[in-house]
Amino acid sequence: MMNMPQQRKEMKYMDNSKMLLGIYDNPDLTLDATKNLIAQGYDVHDVYTPFAVHNLDRVLGVKRTRLSIAAFLFAMTGLTSAILLQTYASYFDWPMNVGGKPNLHIPTYIPITFELSILFTAFGMVGCFFIVNRMFWGRNTDIMDLRVTDDRFVIAVNIHEGQTDVSELSSLFVKGGALEVREREKDI
Amino acid sequence: MGHATAVQIKEEKFILSDKAKKLTFGLMGLGALLVIVGYLTYHPTITGLTEEQVHHLPLKRLLGSMLFNGYFFFIIATCAAVFIAISQLANAGWYVAIRRIPEAMSEFMIYGAVIILIAVGLGLPIIYHWAHDGVMEMDELLAKKTWYLNKPFFLIRLVLFMGFWIWAASMIRKYSRQEDQLSKGLNDTTFFDKTFKLSAVFMFIFAFTFSMFAWDVTMSIDAHWYSTIFTIYNFATGWVSALTTIYLITWFLRSNGYLNIVTDEHQHDLGKFMFAFSVFWTYMWVAQFLLIWYANIPEEVAYYKDRLQGSYKFSFFFNVIMNFVVPFFLFMRRGAKRSRTMGAIVGACILLGHWNDVYLMVMPGAMNLATEVTGENPVGIISVDSQGVGFMELGFLFLFGGLFLFIVLKALTKANLYPTKHPFIMESALHDTGV
Repeated sequence: MMNMPQQRKEMKYMDNSKMLLGIYDNPDLTLDATKNLIAQGYDVHDVYTPFAVHNLDRVLGVKRTRLSIAAFLFAMTGLTSAILLQTYASYFDWPMNVGGKPNLHIPTYIPITFELSILFTAFGMVGCFFIVNRMFWGRNTDIMDLRVTDDRFVIAVNIHEGQTDVSELSSLFVKGGALEVREREKDI
Repeated sequence: MGHATAVQIKEEKFILSDKAKKLTFGLMGLGALLVIVGYLTYHPTITGLTEEQVHHLPLKRLLGSMLFNGYFFFIIATCAAVFIAISQLANAGWYVAIRRIPEAMSEFMIYGAVIILIAVGLGLPIIYHWAHDGVMEMDELLAKKTWYLNKPFFLIRLVLFMGFWIWAASMIRKYSRQEDQLSKGLNDTTFFDKTFKLSAVFMFIFAFTFSMFAWDVTMSIDAHWYSTIFTIYNFATGWVSALTTIYLITWFLRSNGYLNIVTDEHQHDLGKFMFAFSVFWTYMWVAQFLLIWYANIPEEVAYYKDRLQGSYKFSFFFNVIMNFVVPFFLFMRRGAKRSRTMGAIVGACILLGHWNDVYLMVMPGAMNLATEVTGENPVGIISVDSQGVGFMELGFLFLFGGLFLFIVLKALTKANLYPTKHPFIMESALHDTGV
């Protein structure tokens, strides 16, 4: 909320093959430590948490998701398909007299159109989510630390050879309340 | 979360300006004038009926307009009280900063109840077909409803139900105002617990009594017709209108420099509610219409036949456009719910749409003439087209709308603009959904 960079600059280096992880057990401490690290100019790769921590996305300068726009487009696709399907089936291909209703029976379109819009949106969004996050069959997910799936919070900072002072960084981590600091190879 | 120092809880008071007073009274005056002009200039003629037979159509229209406008503002005020009770029962924290607005709106309930009682009391034989002498006995369909639909029981029900809701809402207001004075601090939950218990009782009884209230006031106008989803459809109308009114008043207060702890986050959440319950209203509307259209049973279809011909046809489609298409497409984007301009446009459309919805529930039925006036078949009904929304409908809208605004703004001056000692006030002040 206060003095937060809206958009963190993308830092691209050739040698960022290692990361230092600070492992926390408290969302508030994690948030404050992340703010602090960014303010000090460290290249925070990402923060991994077991649940959504409010404001963390703003601190990290994560762009707002475009998933909602995709969802709307999927819904409109579903809506159009449903209307075309019903009009084709009941008006052009096989007109039937059901209870004297007109063959172009618009009010009864509503439930099917609604359901197909929802179906297309749901499948489309799940598909989008998998593609954007590069999750496919047979792909091993690289988890920073297995405990982030339970109750730990991990801040991962890229180490740049000759620019990042690792000992100063790890003391910053510990000062911010980290339970554990360790280095790992970067392979994602 | 570490930024609790960013907000300040202070005792804010709303000041009712002379301009606002003049505007609301001007609206009321304009409304009263329109009603009188409308009543004096309405001389309907219907082919096949003599002037004597249609002579009480102006009175039907006057009382019908009064009834549906009173009903519209009464259910808005009642649903504002329901909003507090539901949020209280859900242990919601976010709404505390805007809580005084629905509280102020619920002060209108007693005026709305009086309006309804006057319209119903005067209109029982005039706009309620079943209340004509002899109709219930001669009409086989209605005869079976006599134990429920009779004048004394009808009036007793109305008074009891509305009286109970008004009492519950006034107690909720009282506890809330006492809390500001007597609470020992943010950890003191005395008044919170009292309100919780009262809300539970209020909600339980409201759920049943509102059903009967909706059957009585609006559904029994078309006494032959019935719909099992009618209550929830009525509730959806009142609920979404109440949410919209809260949303608009919040914007009004914020743009005048009040409510320092209310942010776009609260506004956004109210906007989400408006969007969601507009869709909910549409669900109920479609569920009622679709089944009746599909089953095509004469006694049910008659209701929609009245509403799909003549001048009502426009109102019928206007209803769907204003209450579904406009909020759905204009209010879907995140930015729209946080924008004052867009919020005002969509809010006005929703309110106008639901006013039109209540108009369509009451007026076609209220204008219908029983065939006993022609002396032929005593149980038949002649549909009368009132030729669209006229001076009387708009007049009562302005009259009661002005009264509603005046009462709400006056009620806002009676206490701090937000409860300063509610246990959840800090949670509400720091409300952030993160989206």
